[in-house]
Amino acid sequence: MISTLNGALDDIFGAMKLRRVWIALAHEDIGDQHRRTTLGPLWLLVNYLAFVGTFVFVFQPAGKDAAGYSAYVAIGLMVWFYLMEVITVSVSLFKREQSFIEGTTLPLFVYVMRLTVQSAIRAGYAIAGCIVILLISGPALTTAWLWSLAGLLLILLATPAIIAIFAFTGAFFPDSEFIVGNLMRVGMFFTPVFWVNNGQDPIQTYAYNWNPFTSFLEVVRHPILSDEFPGHDFALTGAFTVAAWVIALMLLGRYRRQVVFMI
Amino acid sequence: MVSVKLDNVSLVYKLHEKLTLSAPDRRMNDTGGRIASSGRKQFVQALDGVSFELKAGDRLGLVGPNGAGKTTLLKVLYGIYEPSEGNITIDGKVDALFNINIGFRPEATGRRNIVLRGLISGWTEAEIEEKMEEIIAFSELGDFIDLPFKAYSQGMAARLAFAASTALEPEILLMDEWISAGDASFQEKAKRRMDELAEKAGIIVLASHDQSLIERVCTKTLTLRHGRVESIAMTPMEAA
Repeated sequence: MISTLNGALDDIFGAMKLRRVWIALAHEDIGDQHRRTTLGPLWLLVNYLAFVGTFVFVFQPAGKDAAGYSAYVAIGLMVWFYLMEVITVSVSLFKREQSFIEGTTLPLFVYVMRLTVQSAIRAGYAIAGCIVILLISGPALTTAWLWSLAGLLLILLATPAIIAIFAFTGAFFPDSEFIVGNLMRVGMFFTPVFWVNNGQDPIQTYAYNWNPFTSFLEVVRHPILSDEFPGHDFALTGAFTVAAWVIALMLLGRYRRQVVFMI
Repeated sequence: MVSVKLDNVSLVYKLHEKLTLSAPDRRMNDTGGRIASSGRKQFVQALDGVSFELKAGDRLGLVGPNGAGKTTLLKVLYGIYEPSEGNITIDGKVDALFNINIGFRPEATGRRNIVLRGLISGWTEAEIEEKMEEIIAFSELGDFIDLPFKAYSQGMAARLAFAASTALEPEILLMDEWISAGDASFQEKAKRRMDELAEKAGIIVLASHDQSLIERVCTKTLTLRHGRVESIAMTPMEAA
């Protein structure tokens, strides 16, 4: 147990010393994805705004104020797209990094952090779009917004652990790439991203209360929209984050040397 | 003083039968070595009790048929594979030339690719700066160095990869086949660079099927078969 933990921490500290490598590679990844396009990475912002606009236009509940619903959807989609991308892309992480894993001695966590930075940069464009929508749609700027910022940071803290878990899952179980991709696409409809739980629909209420993604969304959304600290959601998200890190450390400590034989 | 000592090193790894919906015969990875079974589990014995010792000035040639364990042994020495048994004691900085194209990005300029390669190789910013002009000069790319890598001809790309990969100051150098690149005149230059590299390195371990190359470069030859050391002997000098 102790040696497993030490192995994982060695890998993580080794990766932290090489932070210039994963930061540089992540920037190159973002640049490559949008090279030769006129807008470059601004397409990420355009995509996000197009999705929010479409969801607000199509799903705005009758009788509700458009501005409030816009803010609700804007934050919901920002967090959901981030989580969806992180999880679906992580599953094939070690397969994509195969030539590095088989040809260098870089710690595995370098690849985890490369994807973390890449996802955070991509999310930055959605956050910019979200802030613009929030300023236009009118929720009052209060100190509660700082809780939303804390919620975002908590999600960011959970990200490397989530990436590591799904990357190992993908290495052990190649079919998970497609299973996870499909589940995340379907999962959007079972998560309060664009629908509002009014407590009258039992399926919605069940999904709201038992879907772990709900708390990840609410730690960011609730403070801005309700001007309150969502203690329950913070506690749940914190617990998920701790659990994810424990699992990630175990996987990293136990299987980091096996990955090269599994990919 | 650089040295390498392997004492009864074995590498056995479990064949992970991947949890997949594929047909049973497609569940295994492609592997070399000998496959052994223990109950329902299958293991690959890639190296079996390998022992040898190298000191400064030694140039070891690894020979043997495909699947004998040459590349595996190099990767164990480099630290990519962790041996399952035995001890490895290495004194000195180990560099490897396995895949000279690793990390090169088609959209980045040649100059940026040198920076990225340097970072991946663990060079400091000062080292990258110091080696940059030397790599550019050696690769003979001139103004092309600031164009995207994908705009390079095959020969130019190979020259840059070769120049960046061999800008090392190795104490212990591991090579899976002797590398070369470019047209006839560059190949001559590349050969001289490799000779210099071999000269500078305290210890070289080179895996190759080219017997004349082994005879030209190496002082010792280790023959592997099925992951075991079949023989280790002084290399007969190549006839002039």
